[in-house]
Order: sequence, then C-alpha cells, then structure tokens
Amino acid sequence: MKEIITENEVSRRSVLKGAAAGAAALTVGGVGASTLGASAASAATVNVSFGSNNSNGPGPEQDAAWTAAAKAEGINVALNVVDHNNFQNNINSYLQGTPDNVFDWFSGYRMQFFAEKGLLTPIDDLWKKIGSNYTAGFTGASTGLDGKKYLVPTDWYPWAIHYRKSVWKKAGVNPASIKTIADLINACKVFKSKGLVPIAQADKGGWEAQGVFDIINMRTNGFKFHMDLTAGRASWTDPRVQKVFAAWKSLLPYSSAHPLDLGDQDAGKLVIQKKAAMIIMGSFTSGLYSKADYPDLALIPFPIIAAANGTDSIDAPIDGVLASTTAASNLPASEALMEFIGSTKFSGIIQAISPGLFANKNSSVPSDPFIQSQVKLVNSTKHVAQFFDRDSRPDFAGPIFGPALQKFLTGGDSKAIASNLKAQWDALPPA
Amino acid sequence: MSSVLEEQAPLAVPAKKGKKKGSHNFSGSDRVTLGAFVGVPTILHVLFVWVPAICTILLSFTFWDGIGGLKNIKWVGFTNYRQIFQLDDNLPIAIRNNILWLAVFALIATPLGILLAYYIDKNLKGTQLYQTSFYLPLVISLAVTGIIWDNVFRTDGALNAIFGDTNPDTAISWIGDPHKNIWVVLFIASWRHIGYIMLLYLAGMKSVDPSLREASAIDGATEWYTFRRVIMPSLRPVNVIIVVVTIIESLRAFDLVFIINRGTNGLQTLGVLVYQNIQGESTRIGWGSAYATLLFLICLGPIMVYLYQNFSKGND
Repeated sequence: MKEIITENEVSRRSVLKGAAAGAAALTVGGVGASTLGASAASAATVNVSFGSNNSNGPGPEQDAAWTAAAKAEGINVALNVVDHNNFQNNINSYLQGTPDNVFDWFSGYRMQFFAEKGLLTPIDDLWKKIGSNYTAGFTGASTGLDGKKYLVPTDWYPWAIHYRKSVWKKAGVNPASIKTIADLINACKVFKSKGLVPIAQADKGGWEAQGVFDIINMRTNGFKFHMDLTAGRASWTDPRVQKVFAAWKSLLPYSSAHPLDLGDQDAGKLVIQKKAAMIIMGSFTSGLYSKADYPDLALIPFPIIAAANGTDSIDAPIDGVLASTTAASNLPASEALMEFIGSTKFSGIIQAISPGLFANKNSSVPSDPFIQSQVKLVNSTKHVAQFFDRDSRPDFAGPIFGPALQKFLTGGDSKAIASNLKAQWDALPPA
Repeated sequence: MSSVLEEQAPLAVPAKKGKKKGSHNFSGSDRVTLGAFVGVPTILHVLFVWVPAICTILLSFTFWDGIGGLKNIKWVGFTNYRQIFQLDDNLPIAIRNNILWLAVFALIATPLGILLAYYIDKNLKGTQLYQTSFYLPLVISLAVTGIIWDNVFRTDGALNAIFGDTNPDTAISWIGDPHKNIWVVLFIASWRHIGYIMLLYLAGMKSVDPSLREASAIDGATEWYTFRRVIMPSLRPVNVIIVVVTIIESLRAFDLVFIINRGTNGLQTLGVLVYQNIQGESTRIGWGSAYATLLFLICLGPIMVYLYQNFSKGND
C-alpha cells in the first residue's frame, strides 16, 4: 500500500508536468490522427461495445460526434450511456456481469483494485503501439500493480477556485491579491457586502465537499499527510485533522448556507448566474458555461494556509478508458477503439465541443486563457492527488466519509465526527 | 384472502394423500398437472426467495467484497452486527425513518385513502374526475415523481417562490435540512400512497351488497356506525391487503429518498443502507446483509401477527 501511493505521487507529478510541457511545445494535432487513420482504414469494419458515463453537460454531444468519427474509420461502436453517478455506483456489478468491451473509468486506487481482482483485460500490446504518445507519468498512472498496462488515459482536469472575472471586477476584488486564506476571507467579506454568496458550496451528492476537504488538508498539513490519511496510514484522531476542520470552519460563514440542497451543477450555476462569487470545484464546471459566458470563467489556486506547504499540491484526477473482461474475446476491435480514443483525432473532436486537457502529448492545447490557466496551475504544483474518492477505499469514501462531511456541513461536532471516522476505518474489513 | 385459502385446502390434501380419498377424482394426468401447478411455483419460490434470503442471512456473518469466488468469504461471527449497532450513525436514523414512515402511512395516509374511497363510492358528481386525479400519482413513475417534487422543494423551487424567497442562502431549505427533509419525503410518499389505498378500497366497496347498507339505514344506524359495523367487516379480505400493503410500502421505502439525495443526510432508510453497502461502489456485503437481515426481521413481525390474527379468525 505504502509503495503504491508513493509511486503514484511521483508519477502523477511527472504526468502532469509532462502534459504541461506538451502544451508549451504545442504541436497542433494531426500527427497521431493520420497514422491511426491509416492503420484503422486497412482493417475491416469491427464491432465493439462501449460503456460511457459521459451523461452530463456536453457529454451526449461529444459521444455522438466521436462515435460517428469512429464509424467512419471502420469501428462500429455500440454506445451504452449511463448516468454518471449511477455508473460509478454500479461499477462492481457492472464489471462482474457482462460489461461493455471498453468503458469509461479513472486512474488511481480503483483501477488497480479491479486489475488485481481480474476484472480488466491488460492492453500491453496496444501500449507498445501508443506508448510514445504519453509521458512517463501518464504511463505510470495507466499501469496496474502487476506492471501490466490497463488504462488508456484520455483527459484530466485540476480542482481550483473557479469564478467569473466580471463579477470579481465589479466587486473590486483583484484575484491576484488572494495569496493566503486571510486574503480569501477578506475577499469573501467584500462579496458578502455586495449581496453575493461568496463561496458556492455543494454537497447534496455527498462527494462535492470532499474536494474542499482535500485542498484544505493539503494546504494545512501537506501532501504527504493527506496521502497518509486517505490511505489509512495516518489516524483520523490525529490533531492535524482538527486543524483542517478549523480552517474550513473559518470559511463556512461565507459558504452556501444550505450546501446539502445543492448538487455540483446547482452550485456551479449559482456562479454562472452571478449569485455566487466562486466555487471550489473541478474545472469540469466549465461544461456548464454557454459559449458567451465561457470567456468570463477563470481560476486561481486555493490560497496558502500553512506557509511551509505554499500552494504545492492540488487534486487533478485523470480519466480514461479500460478494457473489461469481455474485451478479451473481442480484443482487436476493443484495442482499435481504445487506440482511437487515445488519438489526437478523438481529443480534437471533444475539444471542438468543449475544451479540455488531454493526456496524449500530441493533442492540441486550446489557446484559450482558461485552459492555459489550468496548465499553468498544474505546472506550478509539486504534488498531484487524484481526489478523495479515488485515493481512498471506496467502502470508506462513499458510505462513511461522504455522510461525515455532510454532518460537518450541517453543524456537526468535528471531534465527534473524526473519532467516528477513526472507529469506522478501523472496523473496515481488510482490503 | 380467506376464501383463497379455503379453495386451496381441498386441492392440496388430495394431491398429497392421493390414493385413499381422492383417487377416483384425480386421474394420472390430473395429478401430473396438479403436481406441476403446485410443484413448479414451490420450487421457483424456494429457489428465488428462500435460498437468497438464507444466503443473505449467512452472508451477514461474513466479510466479503463481493468479487471473486466463495473462497474469498471470511466468517466473522457477529462482527458486522456489533459494528452496525456501535459505529454506524446511519442505522438509528434509518430505523427512525422506517418507523415514522409506517406511522404516517398507518395513521394518516391509509385512513385518508379509505375516506376518499368512501366518499367517491357515493357516486358524487364528477366522481370519475376525482378517481382519476387521486390515482394519477401512481401512474407516474417514481423517478419522475422525484424530479417533479424536487422542482417544488428545491431552495429555488416552486414552493419557495410562493413564499417569495428563492435566494439559495436565505430561502427555506426543505431537502437539505436533515430535520425537515423526512417530512417532505413523507408528504410526497403519502401523496402517492393515498391514491393507491383509495383505489384498493374503492374496488372492495363496489363489491359490498348495497342492500346491506340500505338495511342498516332503515334500522336507523348512523353513517359512521354503518361504515364501522357493516361495511368494514364485510371488507375483511381488502383490509388484510391494505394493512399488508401499508406495512410493506413503508418498510421497503427506498426509491423516493434515493432519487432525492441518494438516501443520505437524514433520509437514510434500511433499504438505502442495504443498497449502499451491497450495490454501491463499495461492496461491503457483510454489512449490507446485516442490514437486510434486520429489515427482514422487522418486516416479519407485524405481518405475521396480522396475518395470524386474521386467518385464525377467518377460519373459525
């Protein structure tokens, strides 16, 4: 366990550095696409099923566009779209039933766990072909504990403070002036005096606030303690956990009064509607913005809490596709599809609909300032975590930690919450 | 209900005892047919109801992550039960919610449904319209029901708009407030349940011989007395169904809270805890099975008592 996380810590860092470097050296797409086009065109038409969790925002449009493009290259995709949250909740039974050949998932603890349990088909042969498209870091993040390759990473995004430039400008708050949490609180006071909700906070789904816990913990206690805590090597009754809740409490007067009424999209929309000044959320919140509003969206890193840690860590989860056990009997087609999804042609199609950052180092990085600021943010970061529910055990993150944060946000006593978390962790069956 | 039993009894006896008494009644092919009619459902029932139920009870004494073969199952005795009672603060909320659900259904929703049925049965003007509108909530799928009421009870939803404040910070929090949301959900559930009970009862009341009512009226009985002493008793089979439906609907409560906020934050029910631990991303089969066993025991109690009372009276 210990080795895994440390290994990932290094690899994730180099992953994103590499991606950022790719962005700087930016060779606008096409190279990968043309080679892929040639190889796929020579093969006969193949059929393959794909399980998509891309149900929200621009997802359906993206799915329609790339499946059409895949078809043109001789890959007939039977698309099976499932609501994002349901997909995640049903993943165990999905993978043990008759899953689609290829499906959307993430890097991290869960991918490695499924690989260990024999629920995935390794794709080392494919990686021999596509390996040169990825930096060492992404390669590491795509590798199981057995050293085999399982993931074709597609895209990634950072978590940060997202806001509308026009709103901050109107309130007279300079984003560049937010260096420490005290600065942030001062800015919040200004926003509050202007009748805005300073921080839109969602936690209806029980996962949204986990990102806030992550960043405050990394800022307060540093990356290593955060990784130790999520993996159970540090105790929840450690006094450092209380420091996290204390720092968070100083922000609560400026956060949404009823976070448990708001889902991530509800809270994101409050920022778009200029009712809230900012949201601590993954950059996927940009998917909610209309073409007209999008140029107004910007981000800043969560400010410093403990000087020693600076702003050296963030959450930046990597998404990708995996091959299920059913792919083994349909391997050439499944690999052709995964190769397509890893290609710059794929990333080009997705970016044309909604801009984002892609793992393939030949992918174009959109020149728009919001994407560039994501690259810059990751570039200036030393450590990258995935996200609480990707770094920790799912039987802890989902049913135990999620409700605990909901309790905290509705006025629960942080000491009692922490001691219950410790007792609950200790009671978990051995993984 | 009792008449069903009476019908079954003479069939079951000769099928078993065969030669002695009923042999001349049943030819060989009859017996095969009867055997198939009784045997096939019995086998299916045991296979798909009792075997899984017993497996669930057994699994509640184990640690298992639900992946891989039976060899990964580890026997741990009562550990799961000890843990859910000592550690899980969801459990007391879930039990409270299930009991509240039962209480609200039994004391408010079901009597209201019966009352509606009683009045609609009087063939009021526009009775078709009333029937349709009260039954309408049942025609809508629960997923849609959840979405409709979510739009009413959101902080920026219809209800707060009527109150004049849809500001996300100052408006009334209906769904997010763990002290309030269960009542919101019980309201929605009752909205559905009333129509269901009304329809069941109405169907029963249509079968009551009108001359009974007339006779009672001629004897000078009040409406309430007639209902209590004449109509209710003649509807015993329907009453059994209604009691059982009410108990089952409230104890298995799941879908509505799950649609609203995945059954967290004050909306936990035993059904949700079973789902969360077994079907969710975290497969903690042992805990989930322990909750399921608990739910099973709770369901068994009231239903057995009621059925026993009724059928023993009915057979006298």
